Amino acid sequence: MSEPATIIDVRDVSKCFRLRQQRGESTIKAMAVDILRGRTKTRDFWALRDVTFAVRQGETVGIIGSNGAGKSTLLSLISRTTNPTSGTIETTGKVSSLLELGAGFHPDLTGRENVFLYGAIMGLSRAQMAARFDQIVEFAEMADWIDEPVKHYSSGMYVRLAFSVAVEVDPDILIIDEVLAVGDAAFQRKCIGRIKEFKRKGKTLLVVSHDLGTIHKISDQLILMEKGQIIAAGDPDAVVAEYQWLSREKSRTAESKEWGTGEVKIERARFLNEAGEETQELTRGKQLQVQIDYSTQSRIATPVFGFAVQTASGTLVYGNNSQIDGFDIPFVEGQGSVCLTFESLELLAGAYLFSFSVHSADHQTNYHRLDNALPINVTSAERYEGLCHMPVRWGVGK
Amino acid sequence: MTLCAMVPLFKEIYAFRDLLWILVARNLKIRYKRSVLGFLWTFLNPVFMIIIYSIFLKILKSFDPSDPIFLQKLVTGIIVWQFLSMCTGDALHAVLGNANLVKKTSFPRIILPLSTVLANMVNFLFVLPILVIFLVVTHAFTISDVSILPLIIITQFALCLGLSLILSGMNLFFRDTEHLMGAVMLAWFFLSPIIYDFARIPERFQRLAMLNPMCGIVTGYRAAFLGTDLMAPRLVGLSLLVSWLVLVLGVVLFQRWQVNFGDKL
Repeated sequence: MSEPATIIDVRDVSKCFRLRQQRGESTIKAMAVDILRGRTKTRDFWALRDVTFAVRQGETVGIIGSNGAGKSTLLSLISRTTNPTSGTIETTGKVSSLLELGAGFHPDLTGRENVFLYGAIMGLSRAQMAARFDQIVEFAEMADWIDEPVKHYSSGMYVRLAFSVAVEVDPDILIIDEVLAVGDAAFQRKCIGRIKEFKRKGKTLLVVSHDLGTIHKISDQLILMEKGQIIAAGDPDAVVAEYQWLSREKSRTAESKEWGTGEVKIERARFLNEAGEETQELTRGKQLQVQIDYSTQSRIATPVFGFAVQTASGTLVYGNNSQIDGFDIPFVEGQGSVCLTFESLELLAGAYLFSFSVHSADHQTNYHRLDNALPINVTSAERYEGLCHMPVRWGVGK
Repeated sequence: MTLCAMVPLFKEIYAFRDLLWILVARNLKIRYKRSVLGFLWTFLNPVFMIIIYSIFLKILKSFDPSDPIFLQKLVTGIIVWQFLSMCTGDALHAVLGNANLVKKTSFPRIILPLSTVLANMVNFLFVLPILVIFLVVTHAFTISDVSILPLIIITQFALCLGLSLILSGMNLFFRDTEHLMGAVMLAWFFLSPIIYDFARIPERFQRLAMLNPMCGIVTGYRAAFLGTDLMAPRLVGLSLLVSWLVLVLGVVLFQRWQVNFGDKL
């Protein structure tokens, strides 16, 4: 079987916005102010820089990245609501897009009128739309509201109707920007069901979402964007890991802090895998060693070394120290290292931050504490839920 | 842009004809849904204008005071003018007022101003029979140059569309358009033979005045309905030609500007 055809072809696309330093509209007043002040103060902002990627027929591609990375700009370019500053975008077939809330609905028109309006924008005839109308209303669960002006709708109703229409106009390419987060859980499940059905029909889907779990589940390929550029693309597991890694790195520099008397100083901490190689990535269930290098000015008796593992959002997963574990360290002097071994690291897939501390046995003196010092990325083949693995046994009773 | 370049545009508009009709219907619906009197307003506004002007013009003597059909000429002029002024007024918000659609969906943007002009055209076509009834009842209706009526109507449509394209695009890049419009339209109103006869324009200015497309259009309507003199047909022809040039200019400018609409809204 031959490779499916490329259906979205984005080549060297850049988009520049010219920002006026003073916010405002172009009026005589604004021009006069500019002339009096000398030059017009504008600043170029490159929302996208040399973005190239291709989507094949039938693929579902997710785009992830932090706020302002250019995801929505990219989608609006592919939807042709704006034009690139340079580069080309080619799409094959009918593109239906759900860009943010709104989807082009007119607040004064009723749901029914808006459904037909959207259908017409998608190039469907009135008769074609009429044939799909009942299904759209049923899927959106809007039968009681369809003849009300949409300005009276709640945001959930709005997005339900918009999603139903966008899917039901039978596009070749469906573009969804972050709208699924709006509906309630039940509707979200329904949407994902519909998206899967859409995929089965061999249609192409492009999704932007901050909901990593969902986007990971539905995508065949993920694209990670940062500051208007693609920094990773391909296998969803790898890209999600990369993204979590990136956000950890960011939060680490933001949140990492250290304090203490410095009588014992943690110079360095590093992760080692089974083979003794330094790593920042591990598969769940593998052995992990943490080597903590310290240095002291003088001889310090009975220090206690501790560590804690947190998620990116700051949830404490586990904390322990040498004292609790009954591992006595008589004294430390000069330079040395403390080794901590997880025989089997049972953290589930995700990124975690390790904090380390060393303090006196009576907890009165804090020698050195490093918060959120060392990030690690855990991958896992199994799709468990939660933070850590708990081995269980299943059985069947009579 | 040559005429050949217009062909794909026509095809595009044709492909989106359902959208065009929906937008036309929406424009009409939104306009009349909100007011109690609805469609009557299309009719009442010119009636008020006519009452006011007919009183003042008697005093000002801008028409020949002995003209037996002075009122009929005035009514024709005002109704014709109203089509234009409603088009230009709506054009300012044709794109701006549909920011939601433009930013979130993709379709030929030219559909937007085209739909507002068509909606006003529908309005106008409903008002025309009322005008004819008025002219018949007052014994002023003369079947003479009625054959030129379709040409005049289509030409006025071209002028209105051309202006709407320019204004709807310009208002996005230059928000003062909205404020300048009032003054420009007022001047244009008085420069066009609406509250006076074209013949009242001093002869040496008549050639110049014929460059004003509304001169040819108003004179044409009067000739069609009232059997008045078409004046110099060649001059009328010239001002009709100007209307079509405005349309071509409008299409060219609009198509050039529309690329950046999404960023400007």
